Amino acid sequence: MNNLTPAILAALIISVMGGSLSIFVVLKRLAFIGQGISHAAFGGVGIALVLGVHGVTTASSIGQLTIVVAFSILAALWIAALSRAHHGRIDTAIGVVLSASMALGFVLFTLAESKHDHDEHGHAVQGHEDQHHLIEEILFGNILDTDWTKASIAILVALAITAITWLNRRRFIFWAFDEPVTDAYGLNAARTTNTFLILLSLAIVMAMQIAGVVLAAAMLVLPGAAALNLTAKLRPAFIYSIVLAVAGAAIGLTIGLQSDLPVGPTIVLTQSILYLITLITRSIAIRS
Amino acid sequence: MPPPDQPPNQPAVEIDQVSYTYPATGFDSAPTPALNAVNFNIPQNTKLGILGPNGGGKSTLIKLILGILKPTTGTIKVLGCSPAQARQQGLIGYLPQRIEADLDWPISVNETVALARTCKLKPWQRLSKADHAAIDRAIDLVEIQDLVHRPIGTLSGGQLQRAMIARAIATNPKLLVLDEPTVGVDIAGQQRFGKLIDTLHQELDLTVILVSHDMRAIAATADRVACLSRTLHFHDAPQGLTPAVLAQVFAHDVAGVFGDIHIDAHLADDCDDPTHAHQHQHDCGCSNSGGDA
Repeated sequence: MNNLTPAILAALIISVMGGSLSIFVVLKRLAFIGQGISHAAFGGVGIALVLGVHGVTTASSIGQLTIVVAFSILAALWIAALSRAHHGRIDTAIGVVLSASMALGFVLFTLAESKHDHDEHGHAVQGHEDQHHLIEEILFGNILDTDWTKASIAILVALAITAITWLNRRRFIFWAFDEPVTDAYGLNAARTTNTFLILLSLAIVMAMQIAGVVLAAAMLVLPGAAALNLTAKLRPAFIYSIVLAVAGAAIGLTIGLQSDLPVGPTIVLTQSILYLITLITRSIAIRS
Repeated sequence: MPPPDQPPNQPAVEIDQVSYTYPATGFDSAPTPALNAVNFNIPQNTKLGILGPNGGGKSTLIKLILGILKPTTGTIKVLGCSPAQARQQGLIGYLPQRIEADLDWPISVNETVALARTCKLKPWQRLSKADHAAIDRAIDLVEIQDLVHRPIGTLSGGQLQRAMIARAIATNPKLLVLDEPTVGVDIAGQQRFGKLIDTLHQELDLTVILVSHDMRAIAATADRVACLSRTLHFHDAPQGLTPAVLAQVFAHDVAGVFGDIHIDAHLADDCDDPTHAHQHQHDCGCSNSGGDA
């Protein structure tokens, strides 16, 4: 078995990042845009594969990540622009970008597959199974394969996202609470939206290392949603969100490793259960 | 950049030959002209009501004064600065037509008012004594001291509006812009609102611009009236807002609505000439006979 320390460390720090962004994602109702971005990232992975850039060496890991991040940011900004063009109908914009990117991703995967699967005589070689395994990893994540190189990148980026979120917290709070007037108070609403979407795209790609394309957005939704079940105050909400995110990751990692379950889905399942517990707690508190 | 302390004869807002046309938004839409050659000054420490029909360009004019839109032609100055500079310096307070803040937010009334100042802080700074004083004063002036710890979502409509006014004046603005603030409010409510604005006007030396399609709302709050329908028709003359003038602005006969307003036949005739009205700023217009009644 690999050395699990980098994987565990990366998972915990990515959860801190998820917890700190999550309150904004929930309150600004960006959960669905998160889904859009993570599925768009699948198209980015497809592009990287076709270009032959995929994570075997350090350079190709960084190369792949750069392509996926760039593609996700473009998708996020495209969603924002499309939603403005559709008079604020963000669901239409996400529907378009999500499906187009997923479709592109699968087409490119097949192209990459056919390129690698046949030798110069056109005979099929082994690799189908590898390819399916790779797709499964991309869809549902595989943090346990993480070495120190990948982990260091993920940790640095996650810490940077958390720090930038903290530095911009007041701007983000005003924007997320009352976007229509932010311009009148000298904050640039469009610039704030773009800044947040770029951070969100980066965060989604980091969360994908753990939970894959399908589940990444959950790590940016569940902790905040759970925290807001527990408090009606802003500062405690951020603290609870980070604590619940890390707790969910730690418990999920432990269960996943002990019972040989897939770690990403186990973490997301644990965070979902924590959410459910906070929901029950709230309804009991409201009744009593 | 001129300092915030302006000489008293400096107009609060100078609007010079301003036109604005919204660009086309799709295949089957054309550019929409919203304002045409609007030309007037708003003196400091006045309470100006801008009256006009729906679609008459009132919201566009507000966005231009706030610097959110830039004029297609012409120039606007707020206290000698560009609108964007004035906004950056916190010289303009703004209350939007609809409060679209997300009321599910876990944020108290006090924190909501404080946003006006916290959003200007550097990440590592905390609110200063002066910040706290301005926030407390804003809260006192709109009389919501008892509500400061309540979550914003638990306020009634009127209380929420007061909280948002407190947020708008917490930057110590020199100009307060109110967009249709009393839609759906009964006459007593409009009178109370007018008194509140009067208090703010006196206590903070504010210039107030109130935009509305509702003459009663204007009457309850403003001491001068301008009428806006694509272009500014009449501004700041003492003779009274005549039914003929209103009929022209609203494009239908509204005489029956304002039976107690003095009619000046000569001025009314003059204002009936639409070509003339669209060429110039008239002074055959309107002062508010409703006043602070």
